[in-house]
Amino acid sequence: MMTASRPTRFLLGALLQLWMPALVVVLLFVATANSTSFYFPPFSEVLVALKDAFVEGDLLSDLLFSLKNLVAGLAIAIVAGTVIGTVIAETEWFRVASQPVLDFARATPMVSFTPVIILTLGIGAAPKIFLISLGAFWPILLNTIAGVHGISPAVRESVRAYRIGPLLRLRKVLIPGAAPQILAGIRISLAVAIVMMIVSEIYGSPEGLGYFILTSGSSFHVADTWAGTLLIGLLGYALTLLLMAVEYLSLGWYVQRAPRTRARDRRAVASVDPAAVPAA
Amino acid sequence: MTTLVDTTPDPAAAPKRARRPTRSGHARRLALQTAFVLAILAAWSVARMADVMTVDALPAPWSVAERLVEDVQTADYWTTLLDTLRSAVGGLVAAALVGIPLGLVTGTYAWAERSTRVLVEFGRSFPVIAILPVMLLVMGTSFMMKGVVVFLACVFPLIIQAQYGAQSVSESVDETVRSYRIGRLLRFRKVVLPAASPSVWTGLRIAATMAVLVSIGVEILTTVPGVGHVIVTSQQDQNSANAYAYILTAGLLGFIVTRLVQLAEARALAWRPPTTLEN
Repeated sequence: MMTASRPTRFLLGALLQLWMPALVVVLLFVATANSTSFYFPPFSEVLVALKDAFVEGDLLSDLLFSLKNLVAGLAIAIVAGTVIGTVIAETEWFRVASQPVLDFARATPMVSFTPVIILTLGIGAAPKIFLISLGAFWPILLNTIAGVHGISPAVRESVRAYRIGPLLRLRKVLIPGAAPQILAGIRISLAVAIVMMIVSEIYGSPEGLGYFILTSGSSFHVADTWAGTLLIGLLGYALTLLLMAVEYLSLGWYVQRAPRTRARDRRAVASVDPAAVPAA
Repeated sequence: MTTLVDTTPDPAAAPKRARRPTRSGHARRLALQTAFVLAILAAWSVARMADVMTVDALPAPWSVAERLVEDVQTADYWTTLLDTLRSAVGGLVAAALVGIPLGLVTGTYAWAERSTRVLVEFGRSFPVIAILPVMLLVMGTSFMMKGVVVFLACVFPLIIQAQYGAQSVSESVDETVRSYRIGRLLRFRKVVLPAASPSVWTGLRIAATMAVLVSIGVEILTTVPGVGHVIVTSQQDQNSANAYAYILTAGLLGFIVTRLVQLAEARALAWRPPTTLEN
């Protein structure tokens, strides 16, 4: 395998990663092909239901409604989390004072606010965006604080010694220094945000993916429920991959500079694995 | 493709700054933190009195405190708490028993890890609460169903962290083990397990938070008894103070569960030098 050309190696790697998922999909087809169980319809039927819901039903508008709320909620959480996080990390007394409250807030399951928010503010899009940003805010905030605070004292001293201005410092020191941690926080937030999105839509909504799986389930259109659940799973996976791509592209310098990662990278190229570079 | 592993060190478990806090420094810290809590309570009270939001959305802090004190004295409060805790802990333990061995074994062999990678990452990024309508159809509204959903939410982060831990055996150690022809079992017990344990504990920490979150999420969306369900019924009865009392309870529950896992982690990993980012 050492002598194999780059494309061949890549192909072999892809094959090794994909044979098992492919096998599972095939098994799903085979195992459920003649299924007469009401709860487990044939997988082919689920796929047809998914297509029909898109072409004939309103699934596309449901998907767009959910995605719009998710993006808006995440955007608010990212802006608020990084700005407030940087301020807290840079103000020592504030950081110390707020620590217990933030620890508590992080451990609080934000889904528990869903009934209060939706029953008082209504079933429209705005309360859902609020809930999504409420859930996504904390991981970003805490990771920003940890990232900015974790910048090495030597770097801080140099910045002070050279009298580097606050704006330049923010742009060239704080943001790049904390970026890996912030992106890790956003990755956690994405997972929380999707959960908040689904919960708020199942709890009370006239549209959205959560609404789709709830109503199809309670009206016993089981194939539709499976189809919607599958779609939500694919959406979650696609968004995670997208975020990892962003992370990989924007943090290329980070991966290159961490010596151990670089060593591992070299090793990976030398053996079989061109894809083993960890994200952070 | 990169892996979805959480390598961020836990801020609470991170080594403390070298400077030892003096006694007066400690008192100052405590005073600052108390002042911060008081400031938040004051802001909350002002928001209530200025009627920024309706009473249903934001009850006064004193009425929430009053409700909480009353609730704590009832037996219902503790059974509700136990209902949530039982499914959270049950699902978490089951997920640990399945996920950690599975992750350690597949993580030890590169081909196994790579073959399962897409499936595990799909499972990990799946928002588990979305399986609820299907589970309601298949299993109905039951305590067991809640536990199964918690299990599904916890098992994938545990598999991923265990795999990552098993992979973190350094190459030189690996080669030494191979050249001495150390048997599989001994290798697993003495090499893989100690190397993997920090990462496995990170997985347990993530899974514990997830377990409480998902239990309460299921209770909110169904009629399965527990803290989440009481929040819904209180809010529907326009008893928002009680809803907030139970939201605080949910927060405490999450906080205590994470703290317990952190304590267990610190004890179990006491033999290890403090972790750094590149572990």
